[in-house]
Amino acid sequence: MTTTALPPTPVHAAAPPGVRATARRGEHIACGVLMAPFFVLLIAVFLIPVGTAVWLSFFGNDRPGLGFGPAHTIFVGLRGYLAVLSDPTFLGALGTVVLYCVIYLPLIVVSALALALLLDSGAARLRSWVQLGLFLPHAVPGIIAALIWLYLYTPGISPVVALLGRADVTVDFLGVHAVLPAIVNIALWSNLGYNMVIFYSALQAVPREVIEAAVVDGAGPVRTALRIKTPLVRSSVVVVSLFSLIWALQLFTEPMLLSQSTSMISSRFSPSMYIYDAAFTRNNYGLAAAASVILLAATIALSYGVTRWTNRAPRELSR
Amino acid sequence: MPGRLSRRSLLAATVALPLVGLGSGCARPAGLASSAGGRVRITFWSALRGSKQVVDAFNRTQDRIEVVFQQIPSGDQGGYAKLSNAARAGNAPDVATLEYPQVPGFAIDGVARDITGLLSDGLRAKLLPRALGLTTFDNRVFSVPLDVEPMVMHYRTDLFAQYGLPIPRSWDEFAAVAGTVRDRAPGRRLVLFPTNGFLQFAAYAWQAGAQWFDTRGGVWNVSLADAATRRVSAYWQRLFEEDLIFANASPGRQSDAQISQGLVLVRLTGAWDAGAQMSSQPGQKGRWAIAPLPQWDPARPVVGTHGGSTFAVTKDSAHPEAAMEFIEWQVSSPDALRARLSSGASSQYPADPALVAVGRDTFNRSYYSGQDIYQLFETEAGKISDGWVWGPRMTATQHVMQDGFARASGGEGTILDAVREAQSATMPDLVALGLATSEHST
Repeated sequence: MTTTALPPTPVHAAAPPGVRATARRGEHIACGVLMAPFFVLLIAVFLIPVGTAVWLSFFGNDRPGLGFGPAHTIFVGLRGYLAVLSDPTFLGALGTVVLYCVIYLPLIVVSALALALLLDSGAARLRSWVQLGLFLPHAVPGIIAALIWLYLYTPGISPVVALLGRADVTVDFLGVHAVLPAIVNIALWSNLGYNMVIFYSALQAVPREVIEAAVVDGAGPVRTALRIKTPLVRSSVVVVSLFSLIWALQLFTEPMLLSQSTSMISSRFSPSMYIYDAAFTRNNYGLAAAASVILLAATIALSYGVTRWTNRAPRELSR
Repeated sequence: MPGRLSRRSLLAATVALPLVGLGSGCARPAGLASSAGGRVRITFWSALRGSKQVVDAFNRTQDRIEVVFQQIPSGDQGGYAKLSNAARAGNAPDVATLEYPQVPGFAIDGVARDITGLLSDGLRAKLLPRALGLTTFDNRVFSVPLDVEPMVMHYRTDLFAQYGLPIPRSWDEFAAVAGTVRDRAPGRRLVLFPTNGFLQFAAYAWQAGAQWFDTRGGVWNVSLADAATRRVSAYWQRLFEEDLIFANASPGRQSDAQISQGLVLVRLTGAWDAGAQMSSQPGQKGRWAIAPLPQWDPARPVVGTHGGSTFAVTKDSAHPEAAMEFIEWQVSSPDALRARLSSGASSQYPADPALVAVGRDTFNRSYYSGQDIYQLFETEAGKISDGWVWGPRMTATQHVMQDGFARASGGEGTILDAVREAQSATMPDLVALGLATSEHST
C-alpha cells in the first residue's frame, strides 16, 4: 500500500499547475477505489471482531453471588484478564506454543533456505519437479493435512508404525513426549515448500555478476551459498520468520484434530484451543474474549519486536 | 499470505460472535410451538435409552399435550453444546435432559428455568429428598430428578469362582483381591481405573466423605483436594503403581476388549450400567452379578452416585406448565418406567421410590441369573450420603482432571496432581463468570 507515496515523476513536475492538480485528484480517486476493498474487509473481519472481543472482555453478563439470580450487564474491568493470567492451563498453553515456536521456527527457516540454496545452485533439470513436489503439500488444506498425518500416526492403522514395529522399533507418535514434535512435523510438511519458493524467488533476484565475482575470487559453491547469497536474501528470511511466527502462535487445527486420538493433547493445549474451549465448552465469553485479546496483543508485540530487531541489525553493521 | 491472516480473523470472529450457534438441529423454534388440533405441542430432547418408548406412551395416554421427541447425542458427544447453542439462539426445547453435574451450570447460564413454583407438592413429596437436593440451589429447584444411581460393584461370577475370590466388603479387601487376581491370572486385572472416569472418581470421593463444592454463605466454596479425596487418590495411585489395575480410557476400543475378553473382573459403576451391559455384551449373559460397593468402614456403609439424569424446563419454553406435566408423568408414572424398561437396555433406579416395585417386576432378570438387582439397588440407594453439591462448570473441571488422569496413567504426575490441577483450572472460570468464590485445601 506504500506505493502511493512514490515521489511524483518528472512528467508531473514539468506540467502546468492546473493539469498537475487534476492528475493528483484522479490519482487520489483511483487510490481510494483500489484500496476500498481492503479497508472494508479490514473493518468487517478484523476491527469489528476485535472491538467486540475487547468489549466482551470488559463487560460481563453477571449474576452475582451463587449465580442463580437475574443477570445484569456490568463493567467488570480487568477481571477476565486477571482470571486468564491466573489460569495455569492458559499459562501452560502459552508455554506449549513457545516451545513449539522454538522447535518449529529454526527448522522451517533453515530447511527452507537450505533447499532453496540447493535448487539455486544446481540440479537444473529436476528443479521444477522438485519445486512442484515440495510445494504440493501447501495446496492441501490444514485440516486434510492433519487428518492424513493422524492416519500415519495412529497405532493399529498406520503403515509407518506397522513398518517400524516390524523392525522392532516402537514409536508412539501420539505419546506424551512425541506429540509436540509430531505436530511440528505436520507444520513442516505443509509449509516447507511454500517458504522454499519465497527464498528461491529471492535468490533468483540476486545479481549474477555478484556470484560470478565470488566464484572468480575463489569461493566454492558452499561458501558462495552461505557467505554471498544468504546475506543477500536477508529480507526474505525476516519475512518468512515473521509470518511463520504469527502462524505458529495461532496453533489450532493440528492439535485440535489430533486431540481426538490422543489424551496427551488436552482441550486447552494451545492458546487458540484454550479460547475455543472457554467459549464453546465453558460458555465463558468474557474469559474467551480476554484470552483472545491477550493472544492478539502478544502476537502484535512479538511481530513488532522481530521487525524492530531485524531492521536495526544492518544499520549497526554498516556503522 | 491471506490464508494465514484470515485464520486469526476467523478465530476472533468466532469468539466475538456468540450468536452464531450450532443449534440449527432444532429446525423450529420451540417458542413457536402451536396447538395442533387442540393439543399443546412441546419439544423434548434426550439422549437417554428408551426415551422414544416413554414419549410414545405419554402421547397415547392423554390428548391434551403432544410431545415431539428428538434423540440427541449424549452430553460428552456434543449434546450439551447443542443445548447451549440452541438456548443462545432462543430455540431450546421445552424439556431438556441434564445429568446431575450439569444442573448448576445450566441454571447459572439461565438455560434451566427456576421451576420451584411449577413443582407440585405431590411430586415434591414423592421424590427422594437426596435426589431433589442435587437439583436445588439457593432454595430454588432447577430440574426434576428422573433416576438416582447408587454406585455398585458389577462382578464376573464365573471368574470369581474360577480364581476362588471372595466378594470384597472393604477397600482393603478389594486391594487384596486385586493382588490375588494379578498373581493368579497375569493377563487379567480386577478393575479398570478409567482415565476419563471423572464421574467414577467423584463417586469414590463422595463415598469417602469429600465435599468438592458447597454453597455455604452464598459463596461457591471449592475444595477438590480435601482430606477424603486425598485418601481416595492415594488408594488408587497405589493400586496403579503396584500394577494391580488397568488404567485406560473407557469407553473405548481397549476397554471394550477388556470387558468382552473378560480381562477385567469388576465394573464399579451406577445401577444404570446393569442395563447398558445387557445391551452391549449379550453374550455374557449369566456371568455377571451385582454386589454392594466396597466400603472404607463396613460398619457405616456409605455410597455416592454415578450417573443419573434430570429433566429441566428451559427458558425458551412457551408452555412451562405442559412441560412440567410431561416431566411429572415421566418421573412418577409406572407406565413411564415400564415403557423405558421395555426398551431392554435400561436398569435405571427411579428417584421416586414408589416406582421401585414396578422396576422390580418389569426388569428382565435372566441376564443376572435371576438376581433381584432392584432389591439391591434399593438398599444401596438408602446409603447415598447427603450434602453432595455439584459445581458451576463441571464439564471444564472434568476435562482438566481427566487430562491429568491420562498423564498419570502415562507415568507423568499422580492422580492427586490431576485433582489439584482441576481445582486451579476451575477457579479462573468461576471468577470470570462473576461468581462469589472461596478456595480451600489446595
